[in-house]
Amino acid sequence: MNDSILVLVVASGVAYGTPLLYAALGELLAERSGVLNLGVEGMMLVGAVMGFWGVQRIGGQGGMVLFLAVMAAALAGAAVALLFAFLVITLRANQIVSGLTLTIFAGAAGLSSYLGNDLGLADAPATHQFEPVDAFGLADFPVLGPILFEQTWLVYASWVLVAATALYLTRTRPGLNVRAVGESPQTADAVGISVTAYRYAHVVAGGALAGIGGACFSLALTPSWVDGLTGGAGWIAIALVIFAFWRPELCLVGAYFFGAFQALPFILQARGVTIAPELFQALPYVMTVVVLVIVSSGIAKRRLGAPGALGVPFVREER
Amino acid sequence: MSIRIERRLSQPRWLSVAVPVCSLVVAFLLIAIVLLATGHDPLETYKDLFEAAFTAEGALSQTLVGATPLLFTGLAAAAAFRMNLFNIGGEGQLYFGAIGSSAAGLLLAGQSAPVLIAAMMIAGIATGAAWALIPGFLRAYLSTNEIITSLMLNYVAGLFLTYLIFDSSSYWRDTTSPSAAVFPVGKELPDAASWPTFGSSIVVPFGFLVGIVAAIGLWALYSRTRFGFEVQVMSDSPRAARYSGMRTRRKILAVMGLSGGLAGLGGASQVGDFLHTLDADPNGLRAYGYGYTGIVVAALARYNPFAVVLVAFLIGGLQNAGISLQGPDFPSGLVGVMQGMILFTTLGGELFVRYRVRIGRSHRGARPAEAAAEATR
Amino acid sequence: MEPTAQSQTVAPAGLRARPAIACRRITKRFPGVVANDRVDFEALEGEVHALLGENGAGKSTLSNIFTGLYRADEGELEVNGTPVAFDTPRDGIEAGIGMVHQHFRLVEPFTVAENVMLGDTSDLGRSFRLHPRAIEERVAELGERYGMAVDPRARIWQLSVGEQQRVEILKALYREARILILDEPTAVLTPQEATDLFGTLRAMADDGRTVIFISHKLHEVMAVSDRVTVLRDGRSVATVDTSASTRESLAALMVGRELNTYARPDDGREIGELLLEVDGLTAAGDRGTDAVHDVTLSVHAGEILGIAGVSGNGQRELAEAVTGLRPLTGGQIRVAGKAVHAGDPRAAIKAGVAHVPEDRLHTGVAPSLSISSNVVLKSYREDENSVGPFLRFRHIRDWAVELIRRYDVKAPGPSASARQLSGGNLQKVVLAREFSGHPRVLVIAAPTRGLDVGAIETVHAHLRDAAAAGVAILLISEDLDELMTLSDRIAVMYEGRIVGEVAAAHAVVEEIGLMMAGGGER
Repeated sequence: MNDSILVLVVASGVAYGTPLLYAALGELLAERSGVLNLGVEGMMLVGAVMGFWGVQRIGGQGGMVLFLAVMAAALAGAAVALLFAFLVITLRANQIVSGLTLTIFAGAAGLSSYLGNDLGLADAPATHQFEPVDAFGLADFPVLGPILFEQTWLVYASWVLVAATALYLTRTRPGLNVRAVGESPQTADAVGISVTAYRYAHVVAGGALAGIGGACFSLALTPSWVDGLTGGAGWIAIALVIFAFWRPELCLVGAYFFGAFQALPFILQARGVTIAPELFQALPYVMTVVVLVIVSSGIAKRRLGAPGALGVPFVREER
Repeated sequence: MSIRIERRLSQPRWLSVAVPVCSLVVAFLLIAIVLLATGHDPLETYKDLFEAAFTAEGALSQTLVGATPLLFTGLAAAAAFRMNLFNIGGEGQLYFGAIGSSAAGLLLAGQSAPVLIAAMMIAGIATGAAWALIPGFLRAYLSTNEIITSLMLNYVAGLFLTYLIFDSSSYWRDTTSPSAAVFPVGKELPDAASWPTFGSSIVVPFGFLVGIVAAIGLWALYSRTRFGFEVQVMSDSPRAARYSGMRTRRKILAVMGLSGGLAGLGGASQVGDFLHTLDADPNGLRAYGYGYTGIVVAALARYNPFAVVLVAFLIGGLQNAGISLQGPDFPSGLVGVMQGMILFTTLGGELFVRYRVRIGRSHRGARPAEAAAEATR
Repeated sequence: MEPTAQSQTVAPAGLRARPAIACRRITKRFPGVVANDRVDFEALEGEVHALLGENGAGKSTLSNIFTGLYRADEGELEVNGTPVAFDTPRDGIEAGIGMVHQHFRLVEPFTVAENVMLGDTSDLGRSFRLHPRAIEERVAELGERYGMAVDPRARIWQLSVGEQQRVEILKALYREARILILDEPTAVLTPQEATDLFGTLRAMADDGRTVIFISHKLHEVMAVSDRVTVLRDGRSVATVDTSASTRESLAALMVGRELNTYARPDDGREIGELLLEVDGLTAAGDRGTDAVHDVTLSVHAGEILGIAGVSGNGQRELAEAVTGLRPLTGGQIRVAGKAVHAGDPRAAIKAGVAHVPEDRLHTGVAPSLSISSNVVLKSYREDENSVGPFLRFRHIRDWAVELIRRYDVKAPGPSASARQLSGGNLQKVVLAREFSGHPRVLVIAAPTRGLDVGAIETVHAHLRDAAAAGVAILLISEDLDELMTLSDRIAVMYEGRIVGEVAAAHAVVEEIGLMMAGGGER
């Protein structure tokens, strides 16, 4: 039974969805503070390459190395995000164009490739990689075993992260403040909350998470370094945030959903079922458009909509 | 101590030239630093790039090959962004243009070259425009932000393209030739459907010339016609546009259609000038990212159609150089880094063109103009 | 002008006589205008004190000084007998002064409790974890105490306007405001909600707090306040006991002028055919409720009909409805006898209705575009300005130069952007454009707001000329002097209705003032 298509799809969905989840959580934080970051793909790639570098170059015991590599990935993503933050928050540049620039700058024909080459990372297999662990020894549990108990540490950490993010946003003061910044920066400013500081912090944090998402590729899914490794996952993550109505819990569901749809066609193919894979792969994108239309319409806008000030640079009114 | 940012009332001409030039200089300096830090000689690298892009044998022709699609997608982005419509769907609209024009080329096999070429151009424009009208409609009538919708549709377009060649027996797919049995490929277009080239030492693709005509057309449209006037007013002040009786929704559709049509024309040029088939190879058309690079081109050109021609040429040169120089010695990814740097500094420089930065003591009391208005309320 | 009543500070019987907030000789200047001129004011603990005056009287400025948003140029401020100087609004809040603005500062998707929590600087506010339960309890408790029940868990967008206002008040109370200032609070309320609000204010005053109530509505001032301070032209004219006043006496204080002979040149203007008919017009405001109720007006060729009223009583919505910027929910508009399709600016323009809007810079022109462009904003499609799809730039530019000369616009040239122009010159450009379309009807709102004396003269002259040429003019203004000088007839709008109409030549300013403040109703 653990061999059935359904189980395989869901389990793969979890695995493939994890980088999406990290990146989406990061993007969610940025967007909640009112900044639309289209450079996620670039940050993921930079994170992927630096994570791989970490694994190849840092000596030591396997677990430690992997942990440090993930930290390196996070730092790399954060650094790139800092650049983006400076551009759009302090210099008030157009967020759309800046984000796209970032992807080109850091992406598949840019910095990540540059680093990958210069640091001699391509074509060498990973020294260490994240292997699925057998949690509580339940890997063989019917149905749920492969799905829940046979994943890598990155997956389990992501679950903790989802819970932490959800609690952060709803139950803590900084979480309240950042939501205010994203909905109505003028109001937040009027009560003494620093819009600039919160936006910087959340964009950079978002970059760090995107970096870790990238590391999921180079350290777990396809343990190697190849140019453009993430294959557009960053863009999917952006769609995912909308699809999840800007809620962390729904990001989890959505990420696995998207992940499953990416994996499904190949699993089917392996079973000899021939349905054009593109149909499945296109579905998440189409559904995102539908969600966006719903969310933008008058009725649902208030209940489910985007942070009110998303994408708009903040200029303080003169007092 | 506070830093105040005030909108400039007027933008001196010299500033609009000085700032981009300065940004460029700063960019090259920063890149030089990156190169030095990673053990490369900046001046050598710049020299090599310049040669590979422009002066080496056949370089100029290759540059034009790379510049042509960027010209179209750059114009497409400029046309839309000028009206604050962030059409990121140029990539997908280009694909659809390729699909439409290759269909036209195949369907009309046997016709003369002029007929075929004209048909391909029209088909490319129409299909690209149609694909752009989806996010356009959603924006105009359902208030749905066009950024994400156009982006998502890029993926759908790419998947559709793949489907046509790889996973179906569509009209476009080649099912007869021997090589097709090994690897899925699209049908070859008839010879008459190959767009002409001009010149011998420097080979100018027909598409590039069409692009220049398109640039002139776009410039004329936006700065000389009523249509362009309305676009200007709408992008400056939607309220004033409404006040003067302008029809905003229709304009949004028209501009998105125009933008998509230009990108679609770029797709037609890809098929007619270079590929002569519908290319769905994951390392081919879909990997170049012409649509996205076009946005960068448009932004660097500050949405001016003539500047787009120039910038497309320069970026085309840069990309050409990047490809031909690729090797153990030449840092790959440099092209992207350079493009990114240039754009970053340009975007950052924008601030100084539009705003005046004042560093001074913060003072109490409201700003005069607003206060006077407040007080007399 | 000397005040006609003496200032008195009589402590109402039964209340403690300590001033909660007092100011002396407060003066605040802005370029070109003295907003507060040596104002003395005092409000006692436990009283509801109304601040009454027309637009521009200085009420908002004074309250902004009290809350720390502005700093007075001269004068002293005392809270509970102690002199204070506020640098930021935070200081005001810490001194126990809370303000409820006309435009609420609420985050719509948040709950009531979350809005109250935002910016909380108390100990509870500094903790990392949120304690919604504690907040909800306190909010419920405060609500109970003052008759302002609101579900602390409700989201702001779910609440009615009246309930949203309660949240604003609760925010101030939560921060322990002892002095509460409300700026035109009933502008957005239904009569029932207003009555509930008065009950709340009374309860807060009975509790020892001080309520300062800014208003221009006489019946409310009479209903809820203990004392009234009347401001006029930046000065404090009188402070009286409400019980010792009548609407008429207050209105007289509010607008009283010396017998002014308003310069009304006898231009021998002929009143011609009926050009503009507004018939039972009803239109909804931005919040969904009707802002204009069943308004019927008529304006003839060569006639100037002035609409008087304090801003916020439906004038803006009326102007927008007549010019097609706002759809109608009832009634009809006719120009020269023909009905005009409502809600469509283009139809109104085609029918010959010109519009000089209140917000010149953001609605009347495209600010970054040149004067040339703005001058043909509505006429660019006409034969003289375009050939086929192309614009005739030379012709347009020449036309702009001509208009600049004719209207004496001070500008570097026709290519200068509209944004660069001063208020007066910008208004001249807008007028020039509107008149060049040879309109039959002109709707003009706040024509001389923010303009200097010279520009005001010029604008008035242009309006008179237009009337002499046979244009029917609907003039909406908050400036009574302006209305008295220019109009043939004056209609007064209050709470979306026309509450009276008089011939300007026979009009008594105090009577108009009374109608503007709702005194016309019984």
